[in-house]
Amino acid sequence: MATDTENARVGEFGEVSRVRGIVFEYLSLGASVLGIFALAVLLIYVTIDAFDLAGASPLWLLTYFLTLVVPFLGFCLYSARDRALTRRAVAVAGGGLVAVAGAFTLIETVIGQVPRLNWQLTYLFVVIIPLTGYLVYMGARGRPGSVGFGLVGRLIGGTAIGLAFSVLFLVFDERLWFLAYTLGIVPALLAYAYGRRRDASAAVTAALPISILGVLLAVFVREALRTYPTTTFIYLWTLAVPIAAAGALAVNARGSRTAALAAGGVPLALAAAVGLFGRAAGLGVGGPNALLVVAVTGVPAAAYLQRVVDVGEGVTGLALPVLLVAGALAGALVVETFGIPTPNSWVSETFLTEAPSRNAREAGLYPAIVGSVIIIAMVALLSFVLGVATSVFLEEYTADTGLVGALTRLLQINIANLAAVPSVVYGLLGLGLFANLLGLGFGTAVTVSLTLSLLILPITIISAQEAIRSVPDDLRRGSDAMGATRWQTTKNVVLPEAFPGILTGTILALGRAIGETAPLIMVGAATTVFSAPSSLFSKFSAMPMQIYAWANFPQAEFRYGVVAAGVITLLIILIGMNGTAILLRNRAERGS
Amino acid sequence: MSNTETEREAESDAADSLITTDVETGSNDRTATSDRTAVATRDLNVFYGDEQAIDDVSMEIPEKRVTALIGPSGCGKSTFLRCINRMNDMIDVCRVEGDVEFGGKNVYDDDVDPVALRRKIGMVFQKPNPFPKSIRDNVAYGLKIQGYDGDIDERVEDALKGAALWDEVKGQLDSSGLDLSGGQQQRLCIARAIAADPEVVLMDEPTSALDPVAASKIEDLIDDLAEQYTVIIVTHNMQQAARISDRTAVFLTGGRLVEYDDTTKIFEDPEEQRVEDYITGKFG
Repeated sequence: MATDTENARVGEFGEVSRVRGIVFEYLSLGASVLGIFALAVLLIYVTIDAFDLAGASPLWLLTYFLTLVVPFLGFCLYSARDRALTRRAVAVAGGGLVAVAGAFTLIETVIGQVPRLNWQLTYLFVVIIPLTGYLVYMGARGRPGSVGFGLVGRLIGGTAIGLAFSVLFLVFDERLWFLAYTLGIVPALLAYAYGRRRDASAAVTAALPISILGVLLAVFVREALRTYPTTTFIYLWTLAVPIAAAGALAVNARGSRTAALAAGGVPLALAAAVGLFGRAAGLGVGGPNALLVVAVTGVPAAAYLQRVVDVGEGVTGLALPVLLVAGALAGALVVETFGIPTPNSWVSETFLTEAPSRNAREAGLYPAIVGSVIIIAMVALLSFVLGVATSVFLEEYTADTGLVGALTRLLQINIANLAAVPSVVYGLLGLGLFANLLGLGFGTAVTVSLTLSLLILPITIISAQEAIRSVPDDLRRGSDAMGATRWQTTKNVVLPEAFPGILTGTILALGRAIGETAPLIMVGAATTVFSAPSSLFSKFSAMPMQIYAWANFPQAEFRYGVVAAGVITLLIILIGMNGTAILLRNRAERGS
Repeated sequence: MSNTETEREAESDAADSLITTDVETGSNDRTATSDRTAVATRDLNVFYGDEQAIDDVSMEIPEKRVTALIGPSGCGKSTFLRCINRMNDMIDVCRVEGDVEFGGKNVYDDDVDPVALRRKIGMVFQKPNPFPKSIRDNVAYGLKIQGYDGDIDERVEDALKGAALWDEVKGQLDSSGLDLSGGQQQRLCIARAIAADPEVVLMDEPTSALDPVAASKIEDLIDDLAEQYTVIIVTHNMQQAARISDRTAVFLTGGRLVEYDDTTKIFEDPEEQRVEDYITGKFG
């Protein structure tokens, strides 16, 4: 403080010392950069190992750089339409090349060889990837860029969701779903639509009981009925048709009837063709899963196309998927023609579709991926429902004072403490409660899902409570004053407003659940299974378990290559899941 | 109908000629008194814990008139307002004694459902609080929660016209209510309150968060609303009370109702010296 006062006498108005503030600022910056830097180095090495980039020839990198990366960056710059940005980007790319090459050579000569890294790869990770990220961000602000990324996002997201659906049907009985859909959901929807159209509130109210009755009926009919349509037909009728109908309705609301028919009908027809005749036509793809993927990808993409063409702005952005595919094909063609050596990537089709193996090159993650996807779906559902219900009860229904208030506070403290309980303890709980006492089996999907749900429940509850608490009281009072019951206020005002926040908390919690291993070990999940689970009660594994098992293998190929590929797959699935949830949340935020 | 209007005009003309002070009052064509009572309180006492917020207030509020509640901060006028639709029930420490009669019934009787009561009494708050929904959904909110199955669009249009907002928003019913300006938001809240066709509209300082132009629009609107609804308004703005209300109740510290009379009388010739001091700004 003494220095501050002394400094104050300097100059006409005096001067106030900011030294401490500046020191603090840079220390904070250093702290955050340190963490990010360490993680980045790790991820770079994992990526290099997983794709065997260390073995990639510089020519191979150059080829794909020219056919794929440069056109993509060009697209981003075209979309941004900013000369200054273009100049800066070129300067960074060129200057970065010289700087990285120079610095890398210097390090190599002065300090020594850097393991599994050369200046080309360093340039890729240090300059090109951050630059691409920045240009994607800038390009997305321009209309063609946002259109292009929107379309690519729908294509990739649709494929992922379609695949996730098909994985879920490995363990959930699609015939039961077919019956429940036909007997419960369709009649209920029809009743609802009829009631809406004719202003008959009785039909609208009847929709819910009809659906419940239908689903119950389906359970009984499932036992009695012997013949069923093929899986392809079931997917077509229960998933592809409603998705196409929803897409068509969405387009119809904005555009013409013909456009709606095209947006819903063309992808549906395509999906049906792929599903029914794809394999017969010798395309190599086909069957129910292909149908699902085409339907889930095609309908939203077609609806999006229609909207973009309707608005008529940034239509050029629609060329982005073509650009990317053409770039990849051109790269492959060049590599093939000139016989450029290709890196032997550990992340490959085999890795994603085959079972684990003793041989590193044949090892696959498929059963563990299926196990993880199933667990995630069940944990997401369970913890979301339980978490929202608990937090709504605690925030909206319990009193603040008196005995009830004291009990609520006690409950509150307990939940906060539960969030800090180590996951092994939850594993023990799962073992005792679900596996032993309830007899759900050791290491089955049900046991693991329930255990992981319990594990993340406190986090879900606390974040959901926070979200509900942040809904302004003005809105609640406004709704109450209109004569809304507490349930109506909660349902119509509080939950829609709190939904994005609740979703954020659930996403974070789910990220934790997908990576957990300790509770899985405790409840007896297998480290390695050789076939995908066929029911909720069959033995199964999860990605972190499998990765952990591989890390203990004696062969270096496993410890470096296969583990890295597993980590990358896990991260990609995690990022994909979070990305979908974040998009959903942003949409909810914009909608409100 | 036309007969009563002529009568009213005649009476109001007579009242105008009596006004000699510079405070303009009663710029409407309604008589100050009405035959029927919409809301009446008897020996109303309200406590927040040990603190008394309302002290033994008995008053009768006429139907289809504007009644203003004025007084210094913390004098209990908002508390009084919230007693009428039992919004005080939401506050845990709040205790109400005495009767509030509405529709010939004490609203604090055990067999009165506060939720059903609030459907008959609309409320507008100090800060505009439209829901983060579309304009249409905001106005239709009361109808929807009451399970109204008639033509909602028609009622929405009527309510927006009633709140003098229709011409400004008719092309953008599906855009968010939060995109409107502050004054428009407050009129949206009024539309929301009247869409469900209440008998009484309570307003808790509805213009205090608005600029003068928006506030004057709301004032004009309140004047129109009194054709159909009983309006009870809390305000800090003395001129506003004088301009728009037919009856004025003056609360002073401690939650005591000091004087309650026709607005003209309160502003020109109050019985109590304290009221005159308050109105002329000598204290408060």
